[in-house]
Amino acid sequence: MEQKNVFSEPVKYDLTFAREIFRLENGSYIKQCMNCGMCAISCATRDVMDYSPRQLFNLIKLGKKEEVLTSNTFWSCTSCCTCKARCPRGIPIIDVMHDLKKYAIDHGYTNYPQAAFYKAFWNEMSVRGRMFEGGMTARYFLIRGLDEILKAMDMKDVGIDMLKHGRMPLLPPKKIRGLGGLKKIISKAQELDRKEAR
Amino acid sequence: MEKKIAVYICTGCGIGDALDIDALSKVAKSEFKVPICKTDGQLCGPEGVALIKQDIESEGVNTVVIAGCSARVNFDVFKFGPDNIVERINLREQVIWCHTADDEDTQMLAEDYMRMGLVKQKNMYVPEPYQVESFSRNILVVGGGLTGLTAAVESAKAGYSTILVEKDAELGGYVGKMYKQVPMKPPYTDLEENCIPNLVKAAEDAGVKIYKSATVENTAGAPGMFDVTIKQGDSTVQERVGAIVLATGAKPYEADKLGHLGFGKFPNVITQSMFEEMATAGKLEASKVAFIQCAGSRDQEHLPYCSAACCIESIKQALYVKEKNAEANVYVYYKDIRSNGQYEHFYMKAQQEGVVFVKGDVTEITEEDGKLTIEADDKTMGTTSLADEFDYVVLANGMVPTAALGDLVEEEPAADEAAAASDEPKASTPPVIKANLLNLAYRQGPELPALKYGFPDSHYICFPYETRRTGIYAAGVVRAPMDMLSAVEDGAGAAMKAVQCVEATEMGQAVHPRSGDMSFPEFNMNRCTQCKRCTEECPFGAINEDEKGNPLPNPSRCRRCGTCMGACPERIISFKNYSVPMVGNMVKTIEMPEEDEEKPRILIFACENDAIPALDMAGINRLQYNAWVRIIPLRCLGSLNLVWINDAMGGGFDGVLLMGCKHGDDYQCHFMKGSELAEIRLSKISETLDRLGLESERVRATTVNIMDYDKIPAMLDEFAADLEELGPNPMKDFA
Amino acid sequence: MANKSILVVGGGISGITAALEAAEAGCEVYIAEKNPYLGGRVTQINQYFPKLCPPNCGLEINFQRIRNNPRINFFTLAEVENISGQEGNFDVTLKINPRYVNDNCTGCGKCVEACPVEVDNPFNYGMNKIKAIHLPHDFAFPMKYVIKADACKEAGCAGKCAEVCEYKAIEPDMQSKTMNLNVGAIVWATGWNPYDANKLSYYGFGRFKNVVTNVMLERMAAMNGPTGGKIVRPSDGKEIKSIAFVQCAGSRDENHLKACSSVCCLASLKHATYVREQYPDAEISIYYIDIRARGKYEDFFTKVQEEANVTLIKGKAGEIEEDQTNGQLVVIAEDQEAKQVTRKSYDLVVLATGMAPSTATAAIPADMAYDEDGFVVPGAGTAGIVVAGCVKNPLDVASAVRDATAAALKAIQSTVRGQ
Repeated sequence: MEQKNVFSEPVKYDLTFAREIFRLENGSYIKQCMNCGMCAISCATRDVMDYSPRQLFNLIKLGKKEEVLTSNTFWSCTSCCTCKARCPRGIPIIDVMHDLKKYAIDHGYTNYPQAAFYKAFWNEMSVRGRMFEGGMTARYFLIRGLDEILKAMDMKDVGIDMLKHGRMPLLPPKKIRGLGGLKKIISKAQELDRKEAR
Repeated sequence: MEKKIAVYICTGCGIGDALDIDALSKVAKSEFKVPICKTDGQLCGPEGVALIKQDIESEGVNTVVIAGCSARVNFDVFKFGPDNIVERINLREQVIWCHTADDEDTQMLAEDYMRMGLVKQKNMYVPEPYQVESFSRNILVVGGGLTGLTAAVESAKAGYSTILVEKDAELGGYVGKMYKQVPMKPPYTDLEENCIPNLVKAAEDAGVKIYKSATVENTAGAPGMFDVTIKQGDSTVQERVGAIVLATGAKPYEADKLGHLGFGKFPNVITQSMFEEMATAGKLEASKVAFIQCAGSRDQEHLPYCSAACCIESIKQALYVKEKNAEANVYVYYKDIRSNGQYEHFYMKAQQEGVVFVKGDVTEITEEDGKLTIEADDKTMGTTSLADEFDYVVLANGMVPTAALGDLVEEEPAADEAAAASDEPKASTPPVIKANLLNLAYRQGPELPALKYGFPDSHYICFPYETRRTGIYAAGVVRAPMDMLSAVEDGAGAAMKAVQCVEATEMGQAVHPRSGDMSFPEFNMNRCTQCKRCTEECPFGAINEDEKGNPLPNPSRCRRCGTCMGACPERIISFKNYSVPMVGNMVKTIEMPEEDEEKPRILIFACENDAIPALDMAGINRLQYNAWVRIIPLRCLGSLNLVWINDAMGGGFDGVLLMGCKHGDDYQCHFMKGSELAEIRLSKISETLDRLGLESERVRATTVNIMDYDKIPAMLDEFAADLEELGPNPMKDFA
Repeated sequence: MANKSILVVGGGISGITAALEAAEAGCEVYIAEKNPYLGGRVTQINQYFPKLCPPNCGLEINFQRIRNNPRINFFTLAEVENISGQEGNFDVTLKINPRYVNDNCTGCGKCVEACPVEVDNPFNYGMNKIKAIHLPHDFAFPMKYVIKADACKEAGCAGKCAEVCEYKAIEPDMQSKTMNLNVGAIVWATGWNPYDANKLSYYGFGRFKNVVTNVMLERMAAMNGPTGGKIVRPSDGKEIKSIAFVQCAGSRDENHLKACSSVCCLASLKHATYVREQYPDAEISIYYIDIRARGKYEDFFTKVQEEANVTLIKGKAGEIEEDQTNGQLVVIAEDQEAKQVTRKSYDLVVLATGMAPSTATAAIPADMAYDEDGFVVPGAGTAGIVVAGCVKNPLDVASAVRDATAAALKAIQSTVRGQ
């Protein structure tokens, strides 16, 4: 499998962007990467990733903000934890990937379908405190646009199967008890997050 | 000493079944008139040992000859006190286990070994230990840096009066000037305070006699009696010491040669030691620093070796920068990060502090407005990379031992025309560099011989302190490139060897490898012709020379290998328990069958260190080989005297085989060049042999290491086959 | 009055060296070794780097020094049960496990012929079998046989060996003994164990037959090993055309051994020379993070690269898969210089597993300090107990001998200093 070639021309080191990433909750762990390459192989979606986690960390150190934030690497992470379990430096890679996803969303790098999916999932979850696949799907298509809906038509078999197996409820579920409390928690967390970001 | 010999033949382990014990006893009783000759079914058992002890007590036996298993086993059982001689004749591993039982040739072999074991006793005496007059138990440490101070403190704490000589006005050497140190204990992540002040105090508290601003002008003598002249300013002091530790350290590699990395071109390209000075002086102000590893090391054009300590030293210095300024940008350019062992934690710590490690080769350094830019063939990124705005670029420029700094001692011009004219092959002599460290008054040169790259290291993995001068032990980075933790251990280790040398020498005993050996070479100067072979060939420089060329032996420098004994054409050198006539008699006592009996005889001189154990192992594994061989163990092939070859060939032997340890660059010979010398001597007699009408291929040398035991039968059978083609020795019937 | 004797626990190269150096300086020394022979793990090494010389050469000299020195008493099959007292005056209880063979043993070997029970040969890491009564290995010092008695019990054999021994050297009912020693200082030199490769699940050790560890390859290359010195595939005994070395297998790893084991790079380079000698055309690859050939060992690295035609791949092997049809292995790694993930096939894969100190699993029966990997911290803990060898740091042989020499002096200081 060929991964995207990191560079074909000279690059210059610039740690400004890296320093921002190091300040993320798990970002500082990136520093201890010794470029062994275990993560590249451990990853369940290694065939799909533009850059291995290791290469991504190097890009961060080079200050290549655009390349990092427009890559599909952290979006491809399924949180399987294999990399985290095997990384000899003990880097919690999936947590770094989570942080990068958030950073990307916060900074408007939301082109990837996964970004839209997370947004749709989260917003739907906030309404009732539990998942409603129908609502989520609707939100997802709204964010992604017409093209996506057309693509979705290709998946209609999957959809019908899900309906048959009761995996696609047509009506939303009841709200959870204590939804108010949950909303308060979320709101507080977001407030703290904003504070930290400053 | 009046010898009362008793022979004990063990019939256990199948010896009784495989040999005619009566005939064997007859050899002892009738041929050698041995007063007591007994047999026993298990000599190593309690009854057998009691039998021997009884004879010692009541019959006055003082020379016990045991014919049975190898001397390498039952050594603890057959110990009868230092005043009694114990001779072991190997009838098991080297006779019955590797030859046909109940067979005429095997019997002849066993009987010959009986003869050889008994004839040895004619020249065998209990050695009297050499006593040094005015023996000194003092330990001298030359060099007061980290290693030297450690050696001195450890030696003093063990109860030995210790003297330390340091050429600078202050103790501490290179480490003494450090701002902080790499960690030397768990968790191996934190910079430590400089240990030198504590070490100096410990040395003072332990009563080490310290000479500062002092150098060693001259070192004469030998272990137990080194007379050292210490020069301090205008005056000199004499000290008498028992053993010496050389810990004079190393110097940073000349950065002037690193112009390609910008040194000398740009003032802010500096070396590791210059950076350290800045840190110690508190003058470290930087917001962007780069470290370039392997600047001069691992480079065939400069230092081919790795300087071992630079990776962790640079990591330490990178942490200095971060310590002062957490926001500073620090880069380390490397080929491989060699933070071995627990230093892995130190490497990770530096990374966690934000030091960026870049694997790559630096291709260019340029400067603009005093700031430096590095261009590299960046292996981490897979392309060329640039990094600019460096305040400093620090070159990890490696180390060169002080032993390598100086001119080579010139080869001595030939003693006379004849010697100059002769094309004689000479044994390899390692170079000696006039580094002005010890200034030994030794015929072989003023310093320890410099092995690879000028380091006076031991060549042995199992014996790291085996320098070629007895009683002088090199330690720390003068010996080999190493990090501080290793140097501390090395200093203590060398102190141990020095202490041990003193203890052993006081009792007249040799040190490694013939530890405990109390014999030493004695010279019958009446017949000396001042040919200087012994003084030149001694691998340890144990023999000095006077102006006329007479050898002046120094017994406590001696390792008792016998190389001098083998070298002497006049055969004036002998040990109380190992001598030219002794081995000569062994050769001559072997029965030589008549030519028509078609029983060839092959004489084997086998080195005790590897070849004899290999022969034993062949026996232990019951590998069979021809019974024409007669094996004589030698302390070292270097002790082979050519007269024995004469004796052998004149006596009718069809062939002579030398089995010794490997020599050459990767030598295994435990006495440095014994086997090499033996081969050189052999080459000298090939002419003589040819003149006698004997083919020189009858006498050859081969290398055997202890693991080659499975090849021994083939080796010996091939030699026998070659000899068969040459035909029997024509001198046989004249013997 | 300080007691001048020293107990060395562990009779490997470090223990033997510490004992000899102290004894040759005049001390009374005891060595307690848990195996039935002295020499420890170096006896299982085929050749040392960088000289490619046999360990038995140096061991032979050391054994000769032991033979000639009346101040050394060694006990095999001995373990330390208890330590009490203080520097200068320790009371140590040793348990001497039964050998089932007494001092009458002459090494004649008749018992082996009669023995009906086979056991896994621990000397060859279980790669072949030996009889229950056996000489531990052909260079065993002392040259005395030993019985693995639990195997005899299982097989129901009551002592066929005893029946044929003409020296009455076999005692099937031998009991363990206890002995007490009073010593001035203790040198703890119990060495290391190869890190358990079964814990590296992604490498398939234990599941795939043709994945072996470096210590196993060392045995295969040895002429007294399970294959008589021929490096072959364990699955079918066939010759190899390709071999891969996986460096840092379990070392430099926060999930396993955190420290670097220091010797594995050089060991793999040495193994490359073994392979190249037997197979002039085989493909040899080494997957690495950093090649740690420090100091003068750099020469060995240079020499192996020039002579053995080794392919060095920068990238730690991530996973190993097995082709079940032919036992071939696929090593998957990110080759950083080729800038791609590679899947390469090999006949044999060697995991360069590291050194776990013996104290990681068996603590010293005294108050001592250990680091996060279990290595003993020197100088912390009970005064008078000195540590030497790989139980202290991961070391190559020359460094271990050097450190053991230093330890001997520290032990002597304890006997001088202790009350």
